[in-house]
Amino acid sequence: MTTITTALRALTASACLAALSAGAAWAEKSLTIGLTADATHMDPQAGEELSSNIMFYHIYDPLVRRTPELTFEPGLAESWELVDDTTWRFKLREGVKFHDGDTLKASDVVFTLDRLKDSLMLNLAANIESYSAIDDLTVEIKTPAPYAALPNDLAAILILSEDHVAKVGDDGLEQNPMGTGPYKLVDWVREDKVELEAFDDYYMGEAEIESVTFRPITNPATRTAALLTGEVDIVQDLAVRDVDRVKREEGFEVITRPSLLNLVLALDMRAESPTIEGENPMTDRRVREAMARAIDVNAIQRAVMGGLSTPSDQYVPQSHVGHVDGMNFREMYPYDVEKAKALMAEAGVDGFTVTLDATNNRYVNDAQIAQALAGMLARIGVDVKLNVMPKSNFWGYIRVPTPNSSFIMSGWDVPSGDAGSMYGALFYSRDKREGYGQVNRGSYSNPEVDALIDKADSTAKVEERDQYLQEATKILMADIPMIPVHYEQDIYGAREGVEFAPRTDKFLWAYTMDVAE
Amino acid sequence: MLGYTIKRLIQMVVVLWAVSVIVFLMMSFTGDPVFMVVPIDATDAEIAQARRILGLDRSLPEQYFIFVQNMLQGDFGRSYVFREPALDLILERLPATLEIVLVAMAMSAIVAIPLGVYAGANPGRFSSRTIMSGSLLGISLPSFWVGMMLIFLFAVKWRIFPSSGRGDTVEILGTRWSIFTADGWTHVILPSLTLSLATMAIILRITRAGMMEVMRQDYMKFARAKGVSRRNVLYRHGLRNALIPVVTIFGLQLGDLIAFATITETIFAWPGLGKLLIDSIYRADRPVIVVYLMLVALIFVVINFLVDIVYTLIDPRITVK
Repeated sequence: MTTITTALRALTASACLAALSAGAAWAEKSLTIGLTADATHMDPQAGEELSSNIMFYHIYDPLVRRTPELTFEPGLAESWELVDDTTWRFKLREGVKFHDGDTLKASDVVFTLDRLKDSLMLNLAANIESYSAIDDLTVEIKTPAPYAALPNDLAAILILSEDHVAKVGDDGLEQNPMGTGPYKLVDWVREDKVELEAFDDYYMGEAEIESVTFRPITNPATRTAALLTGEVDIVQDLAVRDVDRVKREEGFEVITRPSLLNLVLALDMRAESPTIEGENPMTDRRVREAMARAIDVNAIQRAVMGGLSTPSDQYVPQSHVGHVDGMNFREMYPYDVEKAKALMAEAGVDGFTVTLDATNNRYVNDAQIAQALAGMLARIGVDVKLNVMPKSNFWGYIRVPTPNSSFIMSGWDVPSGDAGSMYGALFYSRDKREGYGQVNRGSYSNPEVDALIDKADSTAKVEERDQYLQEATKILMADIPMIPVHYEQDIYGAREGVEFAPRTDKFLWAYTMDVAE
Repeated sequence: MLGYTIKRLIQMVVVLWAVSVIVFLMMSFTGDPVFMVVPIDATDAEIAQARRILGLDRSLPEQYFIFVQNMLQGDFGRSYVFREPALDLILERLPATLEIVLVAMAMSAIVAIPLGVYAGANPGRFSSRTIMSGSLLGISLPSFWVGMMLIFLFAVKWRIFPSSGRGDTVEILGTRWSIFTADGWTHVILPSLTLSLATMAIILRITRAGMMEVMRQDYMKFARAKGVSRRNVLYRHGLRNALIPVVTIFGLQLGDLIAFATITETIFAWPGLGKLLIDSIYRADRPVIVVYLMLVALIFVVINFLVDIVYTLIDPRITVK
């Protein structure tokens, strides 16, 4: 061994020792998690994206808790009942403590909803008409129409302390967030770290892991490096190219699970479409079927996604209300170029030119997927021009009434576990009913589907809602207003000895994690 | 001197005004910030409410007028994304950037100037040629590659330095600093080294060119002839005369690193200004971008002003007017 390597070893050893002594207390369990981005908010009504959501569910609690598998169970509300078709009564748990020692009261829930209605996040309360505190532990919520998915909606509304907000002020919540959640905020240094500490009086019992640190590490390669050096215990969104590297390394594991994000292609159904010359051939169902059959999702999975995607079987995942068991888009319209060409001929379409609008920084390999799609559709005579742009331009560009777009690739996820909100937004006829069809990018309009969504949204029984939505799914799968492509995979890397199972909604939650001593 | 300062101040105001107008106009092409804030399936009423909350329901000239009006009262606007004063967001991150940039500039100067003097004084030697080839590498290697290699070698392979983040910080005058803690220093070194390489190479080459020019001057030979030591000839007579272009470039590089350390900061997850800028561009967060670029313009103006002052110290024949 040369002197240099010896010296390096010595340095390494001292660096490790330094790291250990800096890490201090052995007795307390701690965990560091590398995220892709820093939280932008600690005030759950100021905005939301994944990193902020992760923090919200550590610091606050909702009335209804969403499980990792997207089922729903009591949260701050221990039970609820329907008084009549539009009136719900939620009974709060007794003696739930806020971090400052105050006890949760029904008035805090009322305050939370009041504040929500005036915030940027008011869409969360779209199906809440009025609410009131019946007594200290009972809240009554009225929906504008019978609405079975109200508990699902409430899982996204985090309860604030009225006294605390009054004390720190409306803006103060960003710096001093406080709720009933399993962790308290210790320190938040923008873009550097968020430190949380277990809350002793948590109503479900104190968390196993005493202190949790989240570190935003944007660059995927650096995230991998931080995992391998032991600086972090878990990383979110492990880069596809690092998967093998981490698997090979002793003492680390790679954990994947299909995400909720369904990549879908919206087809314009208007007689005249902005980027198609002459009549719009996509109004013909046979042309839409031909396009669906021309797209080889398995090739995309293999060549573009490195095997890390799951071809979509329907518009929503199997766990969701409205999913029809056994129905599979891929079996109905398998990849078959000859059949697709035949369908085009049958429809009397000799090929056409259309522009595909897609993002280049929103979904995993989105620009490459768009290129692959263009290549595949060219084989049946559909000449796809690509219009790829960053997401900051994209959402405004494709916004309904889509004056610029004929063919749009975008993702859609439904964390509420219910197809209704997606169908109402994406497939309900435009401009027919307030709050419906607002993202119907292809101008799809089918009175039957509208009627089924109406019925689903006016029953208070989940089983009936499921029936109606399943009917709608069947019609949609036959009509093909959109072509579902695939679900991305969520990929995590973790040190061995860290006990954690990813959630379907990607919300990492340290309360259910543990580390080996 | 006073007249010069006033002239510079007026120039500065004009530059800042121009920057604000340009950024305001440019940002109207980069997408509507409202869609970055509201959920995808927001209704028109929700979007209208968001516009009202963000102050985007007015026309662009009106928005600009309000922006200027508020700025004159010391209010630089609020970030659309963070809903916090844009200036606070920037000032919060400034120390982090300053510390890696200042360490990087110190590293560059300490390494590059002696090497440049040596290579300029002894141009034919093999060691000089090696130094010059090395400097070419420093200029041509992209910083993202250098950063990743440093992480791979020093963090993953040898475990000498941590891969990312700021480490322990201490609070001094309300801001956090890593360079005053031992753990912080281990975090500072790799990003600073990455930042310093290009500057190091440029300064080295300019110093060498200046020295080669100066070495031919008669006063160098006279100084040597009258018995001044070689070291003193090189540094007191030679370097001093070669230093003007070096200081100019040093100032420009300093401004450049403070403003655009983006890539290095992203690679090392360093919570500095550059990362804020790139995130803000992605999110079409106009108030932050406007204030940021105005601050950058201000930094450049101030640095150039200081550079002019330094000229007069180095060369008494130069006066500012």
